[in-house]
Amino acid sequence: MPETILRTEGLSKKFGQRWAVKDVNLEVNKGDIFGFLGPNGAGKSTTIRMILTLLTPTSGSVRIFGKDVRRDRHEVLSRVCGIVEKPDFYIYLSAYRNLEVLGNLSRKIAKDEIVSALEIVGLASRANDKVKTFSHGMKQRLGIAQAILTKPDLVIMDEPTSGLDPQGMKEVRDLVLTLSRDHGTTIFLSSHLLTEVHSVANRMAVLNHGELIVQGKVSDLLKGDSSYYSINVSPQDRAVEILKAQPWIEIVSVANEIDIHIDSGRAAEVNRLLVVNDIEVSSFTAKRTLEDYFLKITEGASDL
Amino acid sequence: MTLIGIETFKTFRRWRTYLGFLAVLGAVILLEVIVKLNLAHFSQAYARGLSNEFVVSGNIINAWAIAAFTLNSLYIHVPFLITLVAGDMVSAEAASGTLRLLLIRPPSRSRIIVAKYSAMMIYTGLLIIFLAALCIGLGLLLFGTGDLIRFQVMPPQMVILPQSIAVPRTLLAFLFAILAMSVVGSLAFLFSTMVDNSIGPIIGAMAIVIVFTIVGTLPFESLEAIRPYLFTTYMDIWQLPLDNPVNWLEVLKYALALIGHDALFFGAAFFIFVRKDIKS
Ligand SMILES: Nc1ncnc2c1ncn2[C@@H]1O[C@H](COP(=O)(O)OP(=O)(O)O)[C@@H](O)[C@H]1O
Ligand SMILES: [Mg+2]
Repeated sequence: MPETILRTEGLSKKFGQRWAVKDVNLEVNKGDIFGFLGPNGAGKSTTIRMILTLLTPTSGSVRIFGKDVRRDRHEVLSRVCGIVEKPDFYIYLSAYRNLEVLGNLSRKIAKDEIVSALEIVGLASRANDKVKTFSHGMKQRLGIAQAILTKPDLVIMDEPTSGLDPQGMKEVRDLVLTLSRDHGTTIFLSSHLLTEVHSVANRMAVLNHGELIVQGKVSDLLKGDSSYYSINVSPQDRAVEILKAQPWIEIVSVANEIDIHIDSGRAAEVNRLLVVNDIEVSSFTAKRTLEDYFLKITEGASDL
Repeated sequence: MTLIGIETFKTFRRWRTYLGFLAVLGAVILLEVIVKLNLAHFSQAYARGLSNEFVVSGNIINAWAIAAFTLNSLYIHVPFLITLVAGDMVSAEAASGTLRLLLIRPPSRSRIIVAKYSAMMIYTGLLIIFLAALCIGLGLLLFGTGDLIRFQVMPPQMVILPQSIAVPRTLLAFLFAILAMSVVGSLAFLFSTMVDNSIGPIIGAMAIVIVFTIVGTLPFESLEAIRPYLFTTYMDIWQLPLDNPVNWLEVLKYALALIGHDALFFGAAFFIFVRKDIKS
């Protein structure tokens, strides 16, 4: 039995007459990178705000490390770092001062701890600049520096890559993986992009209209499910030949990129196939949208 | 760093906080230099204002008289400078989104709101201490010392406080000014917990201070009855130690009324803040 780090029981929130979140039971295990997936307005942020005590649940409870987050607030939140929606910091303070002020709310923080956290996220050279001058991506990285600094056991991030350019998204993704791998941190991140969750998470839950639709291992949930991918390769002619030779790969179109249709679980296999044949793969992206996935799981939940 | 330390640090890292000090600096220097340049004129006018029967002589415009005069700015000007910061204590963090950052850290909301209130009080205290130091310091430099001669309101008569008494009484007046201004700060602070913008609490608190002050000073008998219920009435507390003799019972009554209002406004702010759903 894996240790449960975060558990919500019947978590619900009503705004006026509408349920924004209804009876959500999440279970995040130690060491998970847990993807919390759902379209805009599904109730992801509302759930995260309840988990982090910003909102009082209409009903239900949140247990982190086996303790009630409201009753044992200090003990629990000392071990948690959260970034809720936009990464807002004190814009009139420097990056260094922000980390100092926020870190000291958890425990006594030494100067070199702050410096090293800023180094890891690549902001050391901007340590003394006011956050006012930072881009969205830099603020997002500062948020991750905060997570590194306070050495939490659980990091909760609300759409950490939204609003970032592809390069920024990749940086954040890499930092998330670093946190998970090097520090053994359990990570809970929300997203409205399936590909996003697919590329980092081992477990996930899908939320729609405030209700949990499925929850489980990413590989299990996507099994028997097919997707479209776009690949950018060179030389393209040879790549097309190689792909054509495989009966399980359907080539949809060939233009600047090659669009293929395969089992979701076999994307990595395609990638390997091309690489071993000396084809240079400059990009490999899933075309399938969350909407497709939703249609499938909401219509035919029995398939899963 | 303690929580109060952190909140005070944040407060004093903002431009807005220094606006109050700059305004006090400018206003006090301007006032005292103008009086100095027209000293003969102001001395005559002051003497005439004090009494028609006696010829008042001596150095009547001195540091203590200037201080007593400056304290009159407590009615509107200084309250505005207080609300500027107090009305922003919570709402600015709600508006900028940093409240989310703060309230998911381990310290409880009750400790955070106490720390924020303390930081507001520290600002209020420092601003009045700065006003006192500047006003008296520059006053001594430009006008020297002497007995404090002023016209007291209740009972209406001219009073002369010998220098040895004028000094501690003036200091006491400034101390009471801090108490009076803390109520304005508490009110703006309360409003600050209720909204997500900083203009609202400033305008709201100032509107109440101005309306209460006007209602409290209008010479209508019908308004007499409500004066005791306006907290602005008790903000006159700074005048009491400059009277002769001092009505200490009245001082106590005023001080308790002010402390009561502080407690009331802070209590309401606390109640709202710890229950508030953070949606910003
Ligand atoms: N403060 C609020 N007042 C009223 N309704 C809200 C509030 N915050 C969110 N909602 C509603 O709750 C639902 C869930 O919103 P949210 O949790 O922000 O979704 P997500 O983060 O998944 O995009 C939406 O329908 C939204 O309109
Ligand atoms: Mg959201």
